[in-house]
Amino acid sequence: MHSRIDKPAPQAVSVDAFALIRLVLPSCRRFRRQLLWGFTFLAAVYFLQLTIPRYLKAGVDELAQGTATSQRLAFLSGCILLTAAGAGILRYGWRVLLIGFSRHLETELRDRLIEHVLRMDQVFLDRRPPGEIMAHASNDLGAVQMAFGMGLAAAADVAVMSVVAVLFMAHISPSLTLTAALPLPVLALISWLLSRELHRRFDRVQAQFSLLTEFARNTLVSIRMIKSCTREEQQSRDFDRLGQKYAALNIKTAVIHGLLLPVAMLTGSVGTLLVLHSGGRMVISGVITIGDFVAFISYFAMLALPLATVGWAVGMIRRGMTSLARIGRLLAEESALTASLRLEEPRPAQVLQSCPRISLRQFSFSYPGAVSPALSAINLEIGPGLLGITGRTGSGKSTLCRLLIRQYPAADSSYFFAGHDVNCLDPAQIRERISYVGRESPLFSGTAAENISLARPEATIEEIMEAAHLAAVHEEIMAMPEGYRTRLREKGLRLSGGQRQRIAIARALLADRSILIVDDALSALDAETSAEVFAAVRARQRGRTLILVSHNLRLLACVDHVLILEQGRIAEQGSHEELLARSAYYEEVARRQQGKEEDADAQLRLF
Amino acid sequence: MRNFGYFEEGKVGRVSDWQLWRRIFSICWTQKSSILWSALLSLLITAAVLIQPRLLQAAIDSFMATDGADAAAKLEGLLNISLFYALAAAAAFGGGFAQVVVLEHIGQSVMHQLRSKLYNHLLSLDLAFFHAHPAGRLVTRLTNDVQNMNDMFALVMVTLFNDLLKLSGILLVLYLTNVRLALLMTVFLPISAVITVFFSRIAREGFRAIRSQLAVVNAFLQETVSAVGTLQLYGREADSMGRFHELNAEYLLRNLRLIRLFGAFMPLTEFISSLAMALVLWHGGGETIRGELTLGELTAFIAYMRLFFQPMQEIARKYSVVQSALASAERIFDLLDISGRVIEPAVPLDGDRIRGEIRFEGVIFAYTGEDEQGRQTVLHDISLHVRAGETLAITGPTGAGKSTLVSLLVRFYDPTAGRILLDGHDLREFAPQTLRRKIGLVLQDPLIEPDTVLANIRQDTGLSRSEVYQLLARTGLDAFIARLPDGLDTRIGEGGIDLSAGEKQLVAFARVLCRDPAVLILDEATSSVDSQSERLLEQAVRAGFAGRTVLIIAHRLSTVRHADRIAVFDQGRLAELGNHEELLARQGIYAELSAADSCRRT
Repeated sequence: MHSRIDKPAPQAVSVDAFALIRLVLPSCRRFRRQLLWGFTFLAAVYFLQLTIPRYLKAGVDELAQGTATSQRLAFLSGCILLTAAGAGILRYGWRVLLIGFSRHLETELRDRLIEHVLRMDQVFLDRRPPGEIMAHASNDLGAVQMAFGMGLAAAADVAVMSVVAVLFMAHISPSLTLTAALPLPVLALISWLLSRELHRRFDRVQAQFSLLTEFARNTLVSIRMIKSCTREEQQSRDFDRLGQKYAALNIKTAVIHGLLLPVAMLTGSVGTLLVLHSGGRMVISGVITIGDFVAFISYFAMLALPLATVGWAVGMIRRGMTSLARIGRLLAEESALTASLRLEEPRPAQVLQSCPRISLRQFSFSYPGAVSPALSAINLEIGPGLLGITGRTGSGKSTLCRLLIRQYPAADSSYFFAGHDVNCLDPAQIRERISYVGRESPLFSGTAAENISLARPEATIEEIMEAAHLAAVHEEIMAMPEGYRTRLREKGLRLSGGQRQRIAIARALLADRSILIVDDALSALDAETSAEVFAAVRARQRGRTLILVSHNLRLLACVDHVLILEQGRIAEQGSHEELLARSAYYEEVARRQQGKEEDADAQLRLF
Repeated sequence: MRNFGYFEEGKVGRVSDWQLWRRIFSICWTQKSSILWSALLSLLITAAVLIQPRLLQAAIDSFMATDGADAAAKLEGLLNISLFYALAAAAAFGGGFAQVVVLEHIGQSVMHQLRSKLYNHLLSLDLAFFHAHPAGRLVTRLTNDVQNMNDMFALVMVTLFNDLLKLSGILLVLYLTNVRLALLMTVFLPISAVITVFFSRIAREGFRAIRSQLAVVNAFLQETVSAVGTLQLYGREADSMGRFHELNAEYLLRNLRLIRLFGAFMPLTEFISSLAMALVLWHGGGETIRGELTLGELTAFIAYMRLFFQPMQEIARKYSVVQSALASAERIFDLLDISGRVIEPAVPLDGDRIRGEIRFEGVIFAYTGEDEQGRQTVLHDISLHVRAGETLAITGPTGAGKSTLVSLLVRFYDPTAGRILLDGHDLREFAPQTLRRKIGLVLQDPLIEPDTVLANIRQDTGLSRSEVYQLLARTGLDAFIARLPDGLDTRIGEGGIDLSAGEKQLVAFARVLCRDPAVLILDEATSSVDSQSERLLEQAVRAGFAGRTVLIIAHRLSTVRHADRIAVFDQGRLAELGNHEELLARQGIYAELSAADSCRRT
């Protein structure tokens, strides 16, 4: 399990432009005034910035003609300063408005992401492990923010700057402008091609980086194992190989990356060269003045920097769009559970039975993509009382529980809750009646009290303590640095698996639901404690439904009715005693656990 | 944006930390020839870039602004200058490209070397270290922090070098052109520096605030995403949404604050460059009127000035990248400086003829947390003698210290006090690797490589297929192999078939068997195993380890009762020792556990 290496997320995401626009349109609409002003300011900044060379040109021309006075120069300098001040203020404006927008967009998308995930069923969550969702929420959102912030600004920069600069240049000399602009389309084409290739190589680097990360994580998580097998050298060799490949891929990427900026600079230089050559001729033949020439060079120089960033901006925007598409696909995914609901039919407002009965009729389930069904043709009535479920690992016990609490969709007319087909009920209505504790329950970073009162935040501290007491974890919580106010996921505080399980039990007890499912949730406790906790749970759930999934026959001995699952089917059922007498599997487990192994032992000694 | 769950609490390095710089330079020293090349390239690029305005100036002064001379000669001169210009442009292009590649090569080589070094260092540390440091943070050191430093190399150090070189080059040219104007320009240098440092101080605070909030947002997100089922079950979705919304809004707020700060900083630097331009026009124009400066010199001056502010802005922009890279470097070096507490002896004993007699003498063990408060004593004064060839079971309630005892035996840790002797030698006289080869350990959750069963079993022992098969046949494990679709060639792990917990355990045991250890330890190896696998395993242990020392750790009493002796641990102390019948007769903890363990049927 530790050796599992997650495949990198599929890189080839088809970018459907309309879907992307739909994704950001609400935010754009909400911030349309901000965007409008932002772009207006941006355009104004460039307009102002480009007038500065005109003052310079006037100065140089007048100096060349000998008409300049120092007052005139002071006036022109003043104009430059004023213009620069105005441009500065506007530049502040657009940065705050446009880059601010990208942050708003990022925040909104992140909110939508978590909202969406919280609505999803387990089918979705199985397919999208937390790590992947986190990658979307951090890397992809980051890329989107960059694209809409700096990327968009840089693109607008290039667009506005080129248009305005070209207009100014054309004003001086249209033919010279044409000459100077000659290399620009070539630059655009090359930088587009290069950034596409860069993007491709960068993806490979990313994929390799996740391999490297995953490998390191696996090593560190299973360090005990690696050391006990003395596999350090092997691991080290493998890591080195991964790292070498990563470095090589990076260098390959740098080859493209290294071309982008110099190509842009080269284009700028070629343009300047053309201006120097043809412009110089024009000056010599008196078509334009020296002042014109100098201003022209200045405008062209102004173009150079944004042009140099064009490839960078294009790359950033492309990456952002790819990321946006990935987020879009995630947000577009439907919950199979929600899809299975028959919403058009009138739904009962609430489940009236105080302790709802559960009926399963020919109940089957397959995990998406699985060849064989996880559960097949289960018929089962669960009413008040104690039901035990046992069976080998992988026989479908947990799957059954997780279907009961509506984590996965159920086929029509196969699962009835209080007499209603569950597909006609809001899943929340069902969950309100069921508590579930699994083998591993998540803890939250809040206090111990908050963790226990998850289902009932309004519970008093006495109620919380009572629940903890029943789950036999009260004393351990009291022994923590700040008792019930101790934050559970704080650094340094390490809870054992048993403590976590008991806190989860306390949480479920406090929830006080009509149906409680304990799915192997006592596995990390020793025999005595698990018996004690189970007795408390049983007492608390008296008169209501308690479902116990366990391998532990001592616990199952207390249960009214036990099911044995095998390959997703009910293999046997009956009381503990009946099964001891009837089921070979059950009897064998019992014999092993209860130490009545004389027969088996005699057999073993033969070897 | 490669951060893959990089949620480090915001921290920035101090640029003035010379110790740190020295260490960074020392790890780069292996690449000194490449660095030299890139410096030479820097010179070439700077020269090629700086000569361009100079050529323009020459063109204006010699061929455009002069009257009289014949047009053909002017055109000829213009053409020559254009050619030079083309040459300079080509040099800048070639140099620029080569430099990026060389730099990336340096950065990647150094980082690869650093990453491997760090990885090997981590592997050499003892488990106490891993106990105190969460894996997630260590992964971050290996990947993101190293990457961060690389960004500094590829992006910053070189550009910084180029920018500084360019800056000095420009200043030089400016002084050569006109000393008075150049002095005027020089005034802007300290002004810009002060503004840059001032802003980056404030920005550092802003970045820190943003990163720590991002850490909070991501931690909450991670927690929520991993617990969707539970949250849905207890109907807490809206509540979680609300809380997340608040955290997210705070993150936005902090970002907007920084955007406003940069929104003010960037225009200010632009304004300063315009101010300089206005001054040059005013002052330089005045000099031109007075005939102290040629028109060509003035225009060249203006052109250089534009170049002058570009590297200054670049340096300011990269300041924060340098800071974050330094912080990463500091964290990496801190980690490299931690030395393991399990020290390999200078002259380790070889473990060829170990019989497997183990003696614990007054062993005390305490985990040391990150601070003294985290110190918890797990084993109190354990003295225990395990005879060679004996099967000893160790049992007791959860948290009794059973697994810690095993960890001490293979030197995952060393005892805090007391000593452990193997065949009369202190364990500290053996290299940990030797011990781990001579003491076979089967853990609860074994590591399965995505490979064939055969490869998983023989690993690096170099045994042949038939030798492996013989071992399996001798211990009865061939029955298990026969059940697999392709026998020994069945692919398991990721991409292969999924083994049950019990089957994995059998593979892990076969693996240990191949290494032919003197002592076998089963650490809760059967606790989550189906009964069929458990029986196979027990039978294999009997067949494969007859006459050798076997330690069985289990809290399930059925597993331990047939051992020669049973040691019962309770709260870190050895509470009882004896065989099953003796211990039952004592009416102590064992008897109590046994009663709890056996049927509670009514």
